Amino acid sequence: MIERFIHQLRVEQPAPDETAAGARVRLADRFPRTALRRMTHLGMLIGSTLDGVPLVPEDALVFASTFGETRALEDFLMSFPAASPLLFQTSIHPGGVQQVLIGRQQPIARLWPLAGRTRLVEQALLTAVIEPAPRVALVGGEERGTWMLEHAMASPRSFAFAAILTREPAGAAARVGFTPGMETDDACPTLENFTQALAGRRALSWHGAGGAWTFDWL
Amino acid sequence: MGIEACDCLTPFGDAAATAAALLADRRALELKPVLGRDGGDLVPLALTGPMDETLPPHWLSCLHRLAVGIPPAAWGSAHAPVIVTSSNFGVGSLYAFTRDRDPRNLAHGTPFASVELLRREFCWGEHVHVFSHACVTAHLGLAHAARLLHAGLADRVLVFSYDFVSPFVAGGFHSLKILNGQLPAPYARRETGSIGLGDGAAFAVLTRGPAPCRLAAHALYNEMFHFTANQPDGAGFAACAASISAAAGGRRVWIKGHGTGTLEAGRLEAEAMARQFPNAPLTGWKGSLGHTLGSCGLVELAIALAALRGGRIPGTVGGQAPSFTDNVASQPFASAAFDGAILISNAFGGAHAAMLLTHD
Repeated sequence: MIERFIHQLRVEQPAPDETAAGARVRLADRFPRTALRRMTHLGMLIGSTLDGVPLVPEDALVFASTFGETRALEDFLMSFPAASPLLFQTSIHPGGVQQVLIGRQQPIARLWPLAGRTRLVEQALLTAVIEPAPRVALVGGEERGTWMLEHAMASPRSFAFAAILTREPAGAAARVGFTPGMETDDACPTLENFTQALAGRRALSWHGAGGAWTFDWL
Repeated sequence: MGIEACDCLTPFGDAAATAAALLADRRALELKPVLGRDGGDLVPLALTGPMDETLPPHWLSCLHRLAVGIPPAAWGSAHAPVIVTSSNFGVGSLYAFTRDRDPRNLAHGTPFASVELLRREFCWGEHVHVFSHACVTAHLGLAHAARLLHAGLADRVLVFSYDFVSPFVAGGFHSLKILNGQLPAPYARRETGSIGLGDGAAFAVLTRGPAPCRLAAHALYNEMFHFTANQPDGAGFAACAASISAAAGGRRVWIKGHGTGTLEAGRLEAEAMARQFPNAPLTGWKGSLGHTLGSCGLVELAIALAALRGGRIPGTVGGQAPSFTDNVASQPFASAAFDGAILISNAFGGAHAAMLLTHD
């Protein structure tokens, strides 16, 4: 069995109607004012979950988001024919997490941005548990869309989480286990369900990626 | 890890045709309106078909042509996963929707929807990993494939990458002023830098089994200094070069650089490679093919493999004297003197990626 231990878990589940402007006020003390002005909702939520979590250049970071930087994408599309350079660069995956790390001037060895959907959580966990770095930041999140949401191409809710995965059980909050086997796949938690489970300290288990997954609280 | 199969699609055709065109110093880039039928400034683009979105998308037929060469397997199963890498996916269709309001364009606009379309078309299972990290994306896919194989969690992995130019991405790079009216001249010391953009798609099947060509090592590094600029001292290039150099050991290598045609990144890259690999020729092919964005790492791997089969490596097409450094290869060279190659890509956020290609 491959296992990793969860440390420094943080979850952001803002009020459903929170806007980027609202988050800018709520989270004003977390970011330098000049950086805050340009941050997206997703960037601020991720920044909040990583606030106070020290990272070093030898760490790796796995970032899971199906829709990514939705609002920047929506606004960039609407900026044509005078395309906005700022919105262009912000709209590119993984802009949400890059805003935070660039703001912190935090180099990192390896960044693994995933953009799947159905088995995204499983794939992000798999990426994290086979990463050789002693510490892996597992980060995920979405931001609520506007016109793209009307076409089911964006998340209906904004949320984010961040956790540090290590091989060290002491002081851990939870344990991720993957036991390779020949089990048939069953449904994998969605990114939002996974985030809710983290917030509610709810255990999870499912089969997929050629094995059995467990997520237990310690 | 062994490379069981690998090919690409560019405006010149497959990897063999593309390598032959590069050896003949041909450019696929042509000056075209930045916003397609909506006009705008002329910029260098290398296209396989219409830039404006079509229904069904033009890129889908291209990908079907490419996919003919993929060895059969239960792709998308747990032990034969697919890794899709792209920085664009079907985003051009979102631009088409905002212009035309035709909802049919929305069916493949997001990364997930675009990959779902591929999954249906190619009958892949659910185990399709999707990575997107701007212009180092394909490197991530190949490195992740190697890890899955190394961990015994997969027997074979298909890495599949595609990026097709649309007004969305051309307009974006044009807004950054690095896509302008000049053809790119990678690693050339000149007044103004410029890039070109190109359509590109590619695949590789990696396996633990023996193969004449292998991806022996990967190196990744993220500066996180600035969204679109590198650390001025070149520390990011140096860190990635040092890491892959350690893996290369005493091998005699040539280098396929990123070489988009921008001035600062081109200089930093050429200088870092000259310092770390003083005897290795540095070549780059985006002066002909344009920058195939998230797919460039895999497209250029396929071309490198085709060139190795022919025994001659294309030089820096579109390069001009003087170059930033003396290591820049302006002409094709024989591969016989080398037993490895280092393939490099860079991306927004100061992301650096390198892989070591070895061969018998």
